[in-house]
Amino acid sequence: MKYLSLFAFLSLFLVISCEDDDDLVQPQNIATTLEFRAAYGGADLAIQDATYDYPTGAQLKANLFQYYVSDLSLIDAAGNTLVLSEIDLIRYNSAADGPVVSRTYDVPAGDYVSVRFGLGVKPELNAIDPNNFAANDPLNENEFWSSVTRYVFAKIEANADLENDGTFDTGLTYHMGSDALYRTLTFTGNFTIDGTDDPRLVITADVLKALTDGTNTFDIADPAQRVIHGGNQAVGTEIWNRLAEQFSLTLEQ
Amino acid sequence: MRLRFPLLALVALLAACQPAEPTPFRPTEPDAYARILYPADNPTTLEGLALGRDLFYDPILSADSTISCASCHLPELAFTDGRALSTGISGRPGRRNTPSLTNIGYLHQTLFWDGRADDLESQALHPVADPNEMGGSWPLLISKLRRHPAYWPAFRRAFGLGEARELTPDHVGKALAQFQRSLISADTKYDRVQRGEATFTAEETIGHAIFFDLADEPATTFATLPTGECAHCHIPPHFTNQRFFNNGLDEVHQPKDFADAGRGAISGSPGDYGKFRAPGLRNLALTAPYMHDGRMNTLEEVVEHYNTGGHYAANRSANIYPLGLKPDQAAALVAFLKTLTDSSFVNNPAYRPRVNALK
Repeated sequence: MKYLSLFAFLSLFLVISCEDDDDLVQPQNIATTLEFRAAYGGADLAIQDATYDYPTGAQLKANLFQYYVSDLSLIDAAGNTLVLSEIDLIRYNSAADGPVVSRTYDVPAGDYVSVRFGLGVKPELNAIDPNNFAANDPLNENEFWSSVTRYVFAKIEANADLENDGTFDTGLTYHMGSDALYRTLTFTGNFTIDGTDDPRLVITADVLKALTDGTNTFDIADPAQRVIHGGNQAVGTEIWNRLAEQFSLTLEQ
Repeated sequence: MRLRFPLLALVALLAACQPAEPTPFRPTEPDAYARILYPADNPTTLEGLALGRDLFYDPILSADSTISCASCHLPELAFTDGRALSTGISGRPGRRNTPSLTNIGYLHQTLFWDGRADDLESQALHPVADPNEMGGSWPLLISKLRRHPAYWPAFRRAFGLGEARELTPDHVGKALAQFQRSLISADTKYDRVQRGEATFTAEETIGHAIFFDLADEPATTFATLPTGECAHCHIPPHFTNQRFFNNGLDEVHQPKDFADAGRGAISGSPGDYGKFRAPGLRNLALTAPYMHDGRMNTLEEVVEHYNTGGHYAANRSANIYPLGLKPDQAAALVAFLKTLTDSSFVNNPAYRPRVNALK
């Protein structure tokens, strides 16, 4: 009787185990890399290592380009959202680091139809002070203005040669961010992640496109348009809007 | 059956040979700071901290036992030395100004003016063999420490070492890092104002507004003040963003012409030449002279430098430009900077040599 009970218990355990195994079958996760590429006029952005033409005839050397990304997500064919990262800071401040920032995530194999992220720090995070996050959290990257103005969502810094005399002696410093400026960007594009011939997902931001749309160009000759810091965001709204609108996703094989 | 007793005795003997586990310890941290990141392979312990503290003050680390870490990092000067350039063994001049160690454990990114060390553990390994600092040799030092009647048992206890040959330079770096990670300052007047325990004077209030560009903020009462543009790089709570900048110290038209390549020598990028890590400003009033080469003797000189916009370099930070500070506004900015002094930190007996330090 004792052995019979033991046999029955083991059998039950085996059945339960098998059922659990069936339930636990998950799509295979594939290490998937997203590349954030920075450009100027279509060319790779080289911090301090290249001289760029500006539409007004001036020339620029870039010092810094960075932006926060909230809720970076993939949307699958069924409309489900897979959040890859709640918050990240994409920063280019040395030519030594190159024009591409890569991030790798475990992504379930499947068909996807779009990539989505918020440009800036989403309001619920923007309301929280940096000391509430880990010291190595993107929100502790010292991009916090104050309890009033909160996190700096994006920065473009450069030195301009306005007189074409070979000296880049006019600083341009555009720091932007506020809850009102936060934007959600969605990029459509069908792709399959299955571990074989997966596409490279490249999100490109072009600094020049933030400064000009080809018709309207930010006037860097105007001293009032060389510095956007803290609360004077009205001046920078034009840059911010163009920055938000110019991101692109390419699927490269 | 007869084997049982000898086996038990052997087990007991082996257990007795193993040093006791070191005692975990975490210094109290202020709520205003994101917590220190303790490395998984070097958690602070009472034994490691005490050992690091003793090593920090002991000239045994230098080639001729004349220079200790504290020779350049004096606690009463917020762990600086009051010299333009640090002075090493036999009076040899160092290359750069000694940086403060205030809240150094919170600076989890790169260390040194040029960021050549990734963390406190590896930073601590640099000065020992640098001919212009301690001028020593790691093999000789480790040999000395392995045979030392006081230090070897202390290393053994702090890191659970079995035999002396297990002691390596990494353990020295780890012990020193544990002590440095304990150097926490959070009781400046600035901190007390943030906590609602004190108020700035009228002059400090103006300086604070200039430092933090409050004229830029909406609906401000400081709209007529200039902006100091200080907090782009010197952002609280540690008053540094730990990144590298050219702040216009010298007029330079080609990267190769910088007298000190700074970050460029580490990254290899010409665009990084002449860039140095933004230092933390806590206890700034105690850490003169200023800049990576100690060229400025007073805070007034520093503020005047930034007020002029500095000198030309193509990679000068775009946030450095003429500020238009009037003399009283420059003085107010200096007054605010002096509120970053923490006398309880520099006088903290826990940061001074132990009474019963190892010798």
